[in-house]
Amino acid sequence: MKRFSPTALSLLCAGAVLAAPVAQAVTLEVTAWKGNDAEPAALPELIEQFEAANPDIEIKFSYISRTDTDIVLPPRVQGDNPPDVMMTDMPLVKVWGDAGLLAPIDKGEWFDRLSPALQNTIDAGDAVHIMPLEVIGMGNFVNMGLLKQAGIDSVPTTIDALKDACGKLEAAGIDAMVFNGGFSAPLYAIANGLERAPDQAAALGTGDALFEESDAFITTLDTFPELEEAGCFDASLQAGLDPWSTALSEFKAGNFAMMPQGAWNIKSFMENEDLDFVFAPIPSGKETGVALDLFGIGWSIAAKSDQPEAAKRFVEFFTVNDNLHQMLVSESAYSPFTDGESGVSDVAAPYNASRDNGGTIMFPFSVLEWPKPLEMEIFDSMTGYLLDLDKDPADVLSRWDEIVEDQ
Amino acid sequence: MKIKRRVGTWLLSAMALILVAFMLLPVVYMLLTSFKSGTEITQNPLGLPANLDFGNYINALSKMNYLRSVLNSIGITLSVTVLVSFIGALAAYPLARRTNRLARALVLLMALGLSTPNFVTITPIYVIFRDIGLLDTYTGLILAFTALNLPLAVFFYTSFIRSIPIELEEAARLDNCSDFRIFWHVIRPLLGPATATLSLFVMLMVWNDFTYPLLLLTDESKFTVMISVYRFVGNHNLSPNDLFPAAVLGSLPLLILFIFFQRRIVSGVTAGAVK
Amino acid sequence: MRTLQRYRIFLFTLPAILVIGAFFVYPILLSLRLSFTDFTGVGIANDVGWKNYERIFTRSRYLDALTTTVVFTIMVVVVQTALGLFFAALLHRLPAVRNLCRAALFTPAMMSFVIVGYVWQFIYSPFNGGLNSALAAIGLESLQHNWIGDPNTALIAVAFAHIWMFTGYTTAIFLAGYAAIPSDLEEASRLEGASSWQRFRHIEVPLLAPSFTINIMLSTIGTLKTFELPFIMTRGGPDGATRTLSLHIIDSLFGKYKFGFASALSIIMLILVVLVAYVQNRYLRSRENIT
Repeated sequence: MKRFSPTALSLLCAGAVLAAPVAQAVTLEVTAWKGNDAEPAALPELIEQFEAANPDIEIKFSYISRTDTDIVLPPRVQGDNPPDVMMTDMPLVKVWGDAGLLAPIDKGEWFDRLSPALQNTIDAGDAVHIMPLEVIGMGNFVNMGLLKQAGIDSVPTTIDALKDACGKLEAAGIDAMVFNGGFSAPLYAIANGLERAPDQAAALGTGDALFEESDAFITTLDTFPELEEAGCFDASLQAGLDPWSTALSEFKAGNFAMMPQGAWNIKSFMENEDLDFVFAPIPSGKETGVALDLFGIGWSIAAKSDQPEAAKRFVEFFTVNDNLHQMLVSESAYSPFTDGESGVSDVAAPYNASRDNGGTIMFPFSVLEWPKPLEMEIFDSMTGYLLDLDKDPADVLSRWDEIVEDQ
Repeated sequence: MKIKRRVGTWLLSAMALILVAFMLLPVVYMLLTSFKSGTEITQNPLGLPANLDFGNYINALSKMNYLRSVLNSIGITLSVTVLVSFIGALAAYPLARRTNRLARALVLLMALGLSTPNFVTITPIYVIFRDIGLLDTYTGLILAFTALNLPLAVFFYTSFIRSIPIELEEAARLDNCSDFRIFWHVIRPLLGPATATLSLFVMLMVWNDFTYPLLLLTDESKFTVMISVYRFVGNHNLSPNDLFPAAVLGSLPLLILFIFFQRRIVSGVTAGAVK
Repeated sequence: MRTLQRYRIFLFTLPAILVIGAFFVYPILLSLRLSFTDFTGVGIANDVGWKNYERIFTRSRYLDALTTTVVFTIMVVVVQTALGLFFAALLHRLPAVRNLCRAALFTPAMMSFVIVGYVWQFIYSPFNGGLNSALAAIGLESLQHNWIGDPNTALIAVAFAHIWMFTGYTTAIFLAGYAAIPSDLEEASRLEGASSWQRFRHIEVPLLAPSFTINIMLSTIGTLKTFELPFIMTRGGPDGATRTLSLHIIDSLFGKYKFGFASALSIIMLILVVLVAYVQNRYLRSRENIT
């Protein structure tokens, strides 16, 4: 037994480690669900640059996925032993901030540079607990190569154009659209519902207005059978398709012409050099389509951090446009700052155009307009609806109201 | 007659191998896929890879802290296995041999442990370890895994010891041996097959879990191999040509360990039979 | 003095009791307390009385999840035990290939749930998935199906992956049981001219009773608690068809930050599992004693 005792083991492994640097630096622990190899977000480089600029601070970085952030971090923040700086989003900020586990962040000059929508979102409570890092688009990936094969030259941005494109693609024997119940269909439904009822988002989220009575959402769900009719997808085949593995590989391999998804996939899709694609807005009743923006990540400082000064310097490092720009390029995201240069690549030109001409709709969960549990119910109910498009849209939507009512 | 039986055995062996090979098809699928490029996977899902391209593997290896994390995993896994078998077998002995109320209550306690959903224990374990200063240590992680596997071990050994004829002990008892000496010299040597099987389960659980290492360790040099796999592939936007090579790399040391281990188990069992 | 003597042997259980007390009993008590609060995972918990439990018993979705869990468990336990016994009986008769096959059957269990889940997801995929492609290759296009996308087959498909993963476990336990069968007993019956099937039916099966106990109990408890494969392969979908009780707990805990509610669900699940384990244990143990 002694052979494998931990001490013996560490001795065994000691040879593999280089001598630790003997510096007087303070160590700042940072966690994020970006920065691994799949989604680097330029974090390794940025951390290096930060350390070079701040020789007295050493960063200890841990990658913890978004799902595991919910599992692994609560014991730590509650156990008075939190990481100093944590990547968070608004649902987390709501829970942790309300419980007093996050330190207030000073509204420095950076705050005034934020877009008004973000200012309102993060300043809703008693204090600001998050410094936004990026805003990222959710739209429609379009394989231009396949569209051209079917004789279509322009990106469909309206529902009518979409139906027309689907018909031509079907005639050419091409699978038109990824439209899974777990993500793509919900994006389409949310974008179109909110586009038809722009001022209703908050009321729907609190239960002051009901989804099942909302013409905007009922009309939107009514378009599902029409899209299937037009040849966009085989609804029952799409319903249970996994949005995060199968669907992505299918689009990346060039087997589908369109797919509503997030811009964070752009980088991975570009690895396939044969794939001729653009990132476009979600087709809607409006000429420009809908640009659905997600505010998904920011930095928060733990209330119990031992190094509040160093943590503050780390967070402020990311408010400098030039620094943040590296992350935005890697993520293909937009700057949260009005004077910041966006990092989206040329393939997102159609989405940019829609943003410039038609404005954006914020994804209601990322700005806390809708309660987080509703997200899962929307995914479920959209799957159920796709399995049986004869269902009454009002009945499908009543499931959303039930969840809102439970909050 | 003899020849007929031999042919029968031969046919049966062939059938067994075919059935087992059939069970292994998904593993083969994974291996084949791990050599393919992203486009090849969707265009030719079943065929052999066009060329034996180690690019996926080289990419995965270069980005995982592989060797170090494999060593960590092996050390942690073996320590836990040894601890769990010892504490578990020791506790199981009285539970298997006594039927009084205390024994029954303790069996129920073990059943309770076995039935507890893992997520119930996460926060308390963290708090306990923080308070006794075991965070970010190998000892802490080994202790946590030992605890999580202990109900299984007790349950397993209790059932096994019950099948050992009590007559074996009685001779020793007449010689006035203490309970511990009986356990150590009579019972323990017979536990070979049970320990072998149990070790497999424990090793698999410890090797493949990444919730607890993620919770308890912060020092990167202590990470286990599953954390390396997991950090490499993430859990959003999975691409099969990252996932499958990393998966193969993650499980390979365990498979080698198992094959090596199985030899020893089998020889142990045979030795016991000869005695 | 004699009583003391009798109980002294229980000192052996002390390390185990300490560990289980600290790592299981204490957390369970904590959960029990939290189940009467609106705890969100961090911060202050307010008492809400029986509200969490009330909601569990008044919403049909939790009853549905219970049914799903039970159906899933029965499928897995029955098929996995039968398959494991079949392989063990076969391999017991074939010493030449036994080790090779045992190792091979065990390979699936060596991979983590995440990997197994994704491999099967790619196999079941309605587009270019391994299974449908294989069916097409042997001319059975008509059997192609959207395996995990159709609520009618999703649970079976996930159960199949689960069985595939753990059959090696069951086989290994049965083989360990076989190793404990005295070889002279087998030899004697063979000399008496008993056929292979007769030996299996009248000697091996009764003597394997302890292995049955372990296998059935472990797979029942493990499967009742499971959430991994449904979580990875279907996220509980399509539309709840594979949402087990554990998956509900995971969702409430980590997707919705309802720790209090999740604790109540955990307690109910714990009671269920302990009850099932207790009944099973009594029954299976009594079977062991007959032999």
